[in-house]
Amino acid sequence: MKKFIKWILSGWMLILFFVGFFLFWEYSIPLFDIPRYILPAPSEIFLKGSADLDKLIYYTGVTALETVLGYIIALILGLGFGIAISFSSILRRTLYPFFVSIEMTPKIAFAPLFISWFGFGLMPKVIIVVLVCFFPIVLNAILAFNSLSNELTLFYQSTGASRLKTFFTIRLPAALPQCFVGFKYAAINATVGATIAEFIGSDKGLGFYISIVTGNMRPDLAFAGIFFLTCLGLSVFGFVTMMEKILIPWHISMKRINK
Amino acid sequence: MKNFIEVTELKKVFGNGKDEVHAFGPATININAGEFVSILGPSGCGKSTLMLMVAGLLDSTSGKVEFESKLVNGPKTDIGIMFQDNTLVPWRTVKGNIELQLELRGLNLKDYQDQIYNILKSVNLEDFAERFPNELSGGMQQRAAFCQAMIHDPKIILLDEPLGKLDAMTREKIRADFQKLWMVKKPTVIFVTHSIEEAVQLSSRVILITPRPGKIDREIKIDLPYPRDLKVKRSTKFIEYVNSIQEVFHKYGVI
Repeated sequence: MKKFIKWILSGWMLILFFVGFFLFWEYSIPLFDIPRYILPAPSEIFLKGSADLDKLIYYTGVTALETVLGYIIALILGLGFGIAISFSSILRRTLYPFFVSIEMTPKIAFAPLFISWFGFGLMPKVIIVVLVCFFPIVLNAILAFNSLSNELTLFYQSTGASRLKTFFTIRLPAALPQCFVGFKYAAINATVGATIAEFIGSDKGLGFYISIVTGNMRPDLAFAGIFFLTCLGLSVFGFVTMMEKILIPWHISMKRINK
Repeated sequence: MKNFIEVTELKKVFGNGKDEVHAFGPATININAGEFVSILGPSGCGKSTLMLMVAGLLDSTSGKVEFESKLVNGPKTDIGIMFQDNTLVPWRTVKGNIELQLELRGLNLKDYQDQIYNILKSVNLEDFAERFPNELSGGMQQRAAFCQAMIHDPKIILLDEPLGKLDAMTREKIRADFQKLWMVKKPTVIFVTHSIEEAVQLSSRVILITPRPGKIDREIKIDLPYPRDLKVKRSTKFIEYVNSIQEVFHKYGVI
């Protein structure tokens, strides 16, 4: 309880900002005479959204499945390729420049192609999420596994430890903070990828919902959909941040002390 | 009789063709077991390069290094090593970092618990065993790193400017710690430094390296009694050693 009060007190400025923001939004609609089909008031979004709650929750589940599935696949592939490229000079000269050049392509441009190849189902969306998440993960992992200090490298060489042992005792934990930079970046990309994939071709999901209700001149429902998407995005990002705290608590506390 | 460590015509050139940089040598050095030898020279003279080649952590361009008549052709593992930037990892406590040395070597941690406590006590860190490196001052971190380098009782200790980033007072304190531990365990120490005073205070022999490409200018045996405390440092003989070394480097225009 004490902790909660402290948290409220430390966040009061932010809370005040949000309250102010929504109040301003609410009252500027009648004040500036903004038509409802352009921008609905928050209260209306809430009321209309509540009426459509069943659909919204179901679609959130659909989009969440695409997002999480794609993210996990990207995580496994990204870490795997990242480690492989870091430890193989052949891959570093072939696959690495290839990945860097693909990174420059807006991955979402592939979305229509995937839809035409794989249809309207789950798979093309998952592939697109994998695509937008994979590159930040793999590139940060390569950076992470290549930035061990010279001193630590010489130190473990002087112990005669096997490569496997060194990997798990030194290289992996040392690389985790930089890896998480990629994981977090990918977590932000994941919902974006899923939503856009749904815009392009689908029959369910929040992206589908938003594009349909916007076409029906129902911005109130579109905002309700956006609200659920935001919650989904925050949950994914929050989960990754929590994992960071659990896996590398020493890194978080280091940042705090250095501040 | 062969010497404990024999370095013969050792030379290092980095890069090739137009980018070639002659970093060190050729130089020949002999070191006896239990000696505390300082490699003293201006920055960029290749003294760290020499140390890494002796440890087998860096390939030489020509020449050879032998330990007890055995040729070094890969990383030597019966050594303890310490750098200017310490090798403590941030996710382990001080004790955990000392255990890291043992774990990597596949030694049984249980056998070493007393020794870990004793070595920490000898550098006044026994109360900080469970602290993380970032909670310690720079000087305490280097003392912890020293324990990490020493815990497996290596026959050879390689120190690469381990006190380079510390303030004058802390350096003084840690020098005394080093000396104490060296006098007890008598490992062979190769100490790379650019501090003349430090070299004279700690070593039984100082090897003076010229500016790049580093060659041996001369060797000076330091004939002073151990432990070399403040009293020894104020003695005329100590000051004479320091002065004579200063003159050598003055000749090269380094100081």
